[in-house]
This record gives sequence, structure tokens and C-alpha cells, in this order.
Amino acid sequence: MILYDYVLSADCYAVRLLAALTGQRLETRAVDFYPGAAEKGAAFRAINPAGTLPVLVDGEVTLAEPAAILMYLATGTSFAAEGASAQEWLARSRHFAAALGGARQHDMLEVPGDIDALRAEGSLWLRILEAALFEAGEEGCGFLLGDTPTIADIAIFPHVALAPDGGVELGAWPRIRLWMRRLRALPGFIEMPGIHRLHDLKPEPGPDYGGAAA
Amino acid sequence: MTRDKRDEWYPVAIAAMLPPARGRDTLLLGEPIRVRAGDSGPQVETAEGRALPVTIAYGHVWTCLGTPGDLFPIPEAAQPGRRLVDVGMVRVKCSPLRAVENFLDIAHFPFVHTDILGSEPHTEVYRYDVRIRDEVDEVWATKVRFYQPQAAKSAEGGIETEYMYRVPHPTCSVLYKTSPPMPGEWDVIALFVQPLTEELCDVWPWMALYDDASSMAEMIQFQQMIFLQDRSILENQIPRRLPLDPGMESPTRADLTSIAYRRWLKRRGYTYGAQLVAA
Amino acid sequence: MSVSWTPVALTPDLPPGGAVPVRAPWGELVVWRSATGRLSCFPERCPHRGMRLSHGFVRGEMISCIYHGWRYDTAGQCRKIPAHPDLEPPAAIRVHSYPVAEAGGLIWIAKTLPESAPPETGAEPLRSLVIASPASAVTEAAGVVPGVPGPVSLPDLAAPLILALQDMGEETAVHALITPADSAARIAASRALEAFRRAVEAEEIAA
Ligand code: FES
Ligand SMILES: [Fe+2]
Repeated sequence: MILYDYVLSADCYAVRLLAALTGQRLETRAVDFYPGAAEKGAAFRAINPAGTLPVLVDGEVTLAEPAAILMYLATGTSFAAEGASAQEWLARSRHFAAALGGARQHDMLEVPGDIDALRAEGSLWLRILEAALFEAGEEGCGFLLGDTPTIADIAIFPHVALAPDGGVELGAWPRIRLWMRRLRALPGFIEMPGIHRLHDLKPEPGPDYGGAAA
Repeated sequence: MTRDKRDEWYPVAIAAMLPPARGRDTLLLGEPIRVRAGDSGPQVETAEGRALPVTIAYGHVWTCLGTPGDLFPIPEAAQPGRRLVDVGMVRVKCSPLRAVENFLDIAHFPFVHTDILGSEPHTEVYRYDVRIRDEVDEVWATKVRFYQPQAAKSAEGGIETEYMYRVPHPTCSVLYKTSPPMPGEWDVIALFVQPLTEELCDVWPWMALYDDASSMAEMIQFQQMIFLQDRSILENQIPRRLPLDPGMESPTRADLTSIAYRRWLKRRGYTYGAQLVAA
Repeated sequence: MSVSWTPVALTPDLPPGGAVPVRAPWGELVVWRSATGRLSCFPERCPHRGMRLSHGFVRGEMISCIYHGWRYDTAGQCRKIPAHPDLEPPAAIRVHSYPVAEAGGLIWIAKTLPESAPPETGAEPLRSLVIASPASAVTEAAGVVPGVPGPVSLPDLAAPLILALQDMGEETAVHALITPADSAARIAASRALEAFRRAVEAEEIAA
């Protein structure tokens, strides 16, 4: 499977992450989205006329919508999710991308936008996510659709974790923080720039002073 | 020797990707400027329409608000066989001086660039040499060594990498590191910083690499990945400005380059983006 | 105001190994919990190069800064500098440690140790949320003042919630607790709280 990829794209990262979590190998082809805008060029439009990333090519199959790519990769794995609730979150991920991703592109890459409106819109979606995670937790679920992670979580997570890049801080969202921590601790989890390694999972090298402190 | 900050050259665009007719409205040292493609090359002007001096070097358009001197040389830029990489601008909410100082630092590699430029338990920073070369008025750190799991796009597996760091300009730094495919040569990675304000900057990384295997997009994205890992650090340092008061932060021997850089800034009187007294 | 306790989080929202940023009236802080459950509260600023410690990571009984990995024990003493693994960090490298306590389902901090312990609430943690209005507006709507948890009746709820307000300047954190209830009642309470937030914020805009 070939992934046409841009290293700083949250949606491309969601695809790389799901592949890593489900043990699938992707052959990534770097597309010069920034600064080159290569995805708008003729060569890339031959692959995806819409001129967007990510694009997944698997034999005869070409997919260019992030949610569809996630569904495709999740088929037959524990991350697969169907039904209206899954669709609701996959569709919501576009709102997260537009608002939080828009703020991020504005703050990071000088992309024009109404930054206050983007951040306010992003905070609204974070409120919706925080409340949903609270309600899931009351039902004994650590993830959006149950007690194991699915593509619903993977579609939303990158935009949320990268929100600080666009000036939306995550300090005041306790349920979101705990949910992100659970995702980051999954076996096979990979990072992207802006999301640091969860170093706590690794033991302290060398003589450990830990116990002696108390 | 001191020099007015307005007399320095600063990067404001990639020469090969000039903003179209409307131009790029941006800030330099807090002053609004516009960069655009003119009939005979790039033009930069102030809000009042005053044309500013322009020079093109190392892939970038540089300008100056005052009376410019010579831009620092990077002789390697002209060496045949190197591929010149315009990485693109990344905006960071931090002092331009903090951005440069972070670039000079290796001790953060295992924690910030985990499994790429460093990894635990290989955290030790060995002794290295630092001095201010008065003849050229530059800070140089040499014999810097660090264990790296994947030093460059072209690197396979871990190697002990050697570095030299050079600060020829208050907001620019040039780093020379072992070239994985050409062990006798140095790859050149530079960080050119455009100070928008004292607490906001546009960072323009640029490279001159020996690498025939990677695509241009791959080389760009490797460097973007590295720099974006730094960005989330830079936006979260307190205070946002670089403290020049030695009592405010606690350096160790690993920080000799940053100590020399701060001293050099003081000596040159370059305090734009610096915090002079403890808050 | 700094001689009293300030509520900063609900107990379950900061499990062992966690670190959260806190905006206190006297500065930006980090509150973290060690593997064995001990709470500590330090200034955010790492003494080395100023990185926010709330971005750091907890291993065992120590917190490490994410930038260069400097490691601090629960008292704030620096115990390890990874760039110099064989060096015993000098005693002068330490961060201030503020009083922190756990009571009534809440985590509390103070600038200096208050004379009395923080109050019990007799209720169970529900959830925390931030209202984008100053504490004065929330107090006016809820009838409780920052730092003193009290009962607040919200429309459509059978029993009052206990709300503990945390003044964060432009914004106010509301830490909500509830007398033991089943999950349906707790979800209803969460929704009522969201509605309360919308009402307070709408009032702000109207004013
Ligand atoms: S800034 Fe915290 S360890 Fe360097
Ligand atoms: Fe770095």
C-alpha cells in the first residue's frame, strides 16, 4: 500500500498511526505540500484530481478522503467501526480539522484565516469531545465508541493533540488529556512532530533514584 | 563591537518562491514591510513605500531596515555536489534568540527528537570546544559529538555524529555535521530567523547536503519534522524572551555554546528579543 | 487570598504518573502525582532553560522536564541531569515546592501552608469544566465564591451539585461534585452543567 504523505499533516498522520497500530506496512511517498504546493501540481493531480492529501493507493483502489482511508485500513481489525455513531465522529473530524487545523496552519505556516473565530470554533468542538468522553466514561468506556479504540478516536485524535500548535491549549480539558494519554500508551503508537514521545513508559536508564526519594 | 540591529540583513522570503504580485505582508523588527516579485527581481518596501535594500543568498531574499554590511559567508554553498534545500518558513511564538539558542543545543536530542537525533540512555554531552573568534566576530563550537539513532534522511542506523556550530549573525546559525553518505565531508544545515517582534519569529531553515538518494520532498520533510519537534518546546519556554541575566537560568557544561552566544549578544549590544533583568 | 487553599482539579482527573498545568493567582504552576500517588506542586518554569514542567513526564517518584530531561524529586530537588549522567546535581538546583493537599474529592494548592486543612465536601467528583467568564459572573449565577465549595441547584436536577470555583482571571474553572448517584443521574448532571455554562457565558455577552 502506498500513502502519499506530508509529514506535518494531521490527516496523513492519522493514516500512519492507524497503520502502525494495526501492524500494516505503508510505503510512504513524501509530497512537497509545503512549501512546494506539489499536491496542486499536474503530476500529483494525475493521482488525485482533487489535489488533496492523504491519498492511499492499494492496487486498484485509490482513496483520498481521510475517513474512507481509515475505514479501509481498519477493515478486519479491532479498530473497525460501523453505524451512525461512528459516522458522526468521522464527520465531526472534518470540523476539528477545519477549526483546529485551520488555526494551526495560520499560526505555523502563515495561512490566512480569522484566527479568533477558528480558535473559538475549535474550543466548541473540544467541549463537545470533553462532554462525550465524560459520558463514555460513565458507561465504563475509555474511548469514544467503547472500551477499545476505533477509527473514531484515530480520526479525531491528531487534530486535538496538535491544537496547541494553533494556540489552543489543552490544560483545561481533563477527560481529553486522559483519553490522549490512553491513546499514546497503545502498543505500536507512533508520534508526529508536535506530539512528544510518552517517555514515562520507558524505564529510567541507569541507577534509579526513584525509590530513595521518599 | 556593537552594531545596530537595523543594520543587519534578515531573511524574508524564499528566492525561488517569490510571493505573487500582491506580495507578502510581514514584519521586521516590529515594522510592517511588504515583499513582492518586481520586474527585475524581489522588492521589499516599508509601509510608507520606502524601498529597502535586497540581496539574494542561500536560497533566500534578505533585506535590511538600515545600512547593511556584508552578509556572512557560507563558502560550502558553492561547493559542487551539494543539494540546496529550501525548507520553508515556520512561524514560532518565541524570541528569535530562543530559536537560535535551541538550534545550538544538543542535550535535548534524546527527549525532543527521540529515536532520530538522540535516544536514552545515550544522553551524555561530552566535552567540546567553544570560543568567540574575534577575527570574524562569530561564535564557534567544535568537536561536538553525540550518539544519533538516525542522523539524517540518508542515515541508516545509529552513528556517533560530529558537529560544529557557528553563529555568524545574532539571528542566524550554521551547523556542520558528519555527512552519512560522505564521511569525510560536512553537511550544512542553517537556521535563518526573521524577527517579527521580540516574541514572534519566522524561521527559515536551509540546507546544503550530500544526498543523492532522497527526493527533495523527503529532505524538506525530514528537516520540517525535526524543526516542528522543537517548535512545541520553543512556544513553551518561560519567559518568551531570552534571559541575558546569568542568574535567571542554570546552565551546565553542556550549555557552553549557549553561554557563549548570550555573552556574544551582550557584547554586540544585540538585545532585541532578550530579557535583560529578571522579571 | 493566598493563605487559603485553591481547588485546582478533581482527584480522579490526576492519576499517578500525571502532570497538569495550573494557573494560580500567584503564577503558573504544575501539579503532578508520582507513581505511588504523592502529589507535588512546583512553578511551571524549569530552572534550566525555562521549559514548562507540565509538559514533562513522571517516572516513579520523580518528574522529568521534556526539554533536557532534568529530573526533580517530590520535594523539588534536582536529582539527575542526563547530559552529565555521573554528576550529582548541586543542591542549589531545585524548584520551590508549594503546599498541596487532597480532600473532599478535590486537589488543593496554596502559596503558603494555611492553618487549617481544606474542607471536606461529602460528595463524589463529577467533572471539571472551564467557563469563559470571570469568577464574579459565575459567583453571581451560582451563589458560591471561589475556594469554598457549596451547593448549587441547577434546573432539572433533583439534588444540588457541589461546585468549587477556581478563579483564573478571565476564565473560571468549575469543579463539580455530586452526592452518590447512578450513571444516568451523573450524565444528566453533566448536561445541566453544560447548560449552566452556556447561560453564564450568554449573560456575559449580553452584559
Ligand atoms: S529546560 Fe528543563 S531540563 Fe532543560
Ligand atoms: Fe532540536
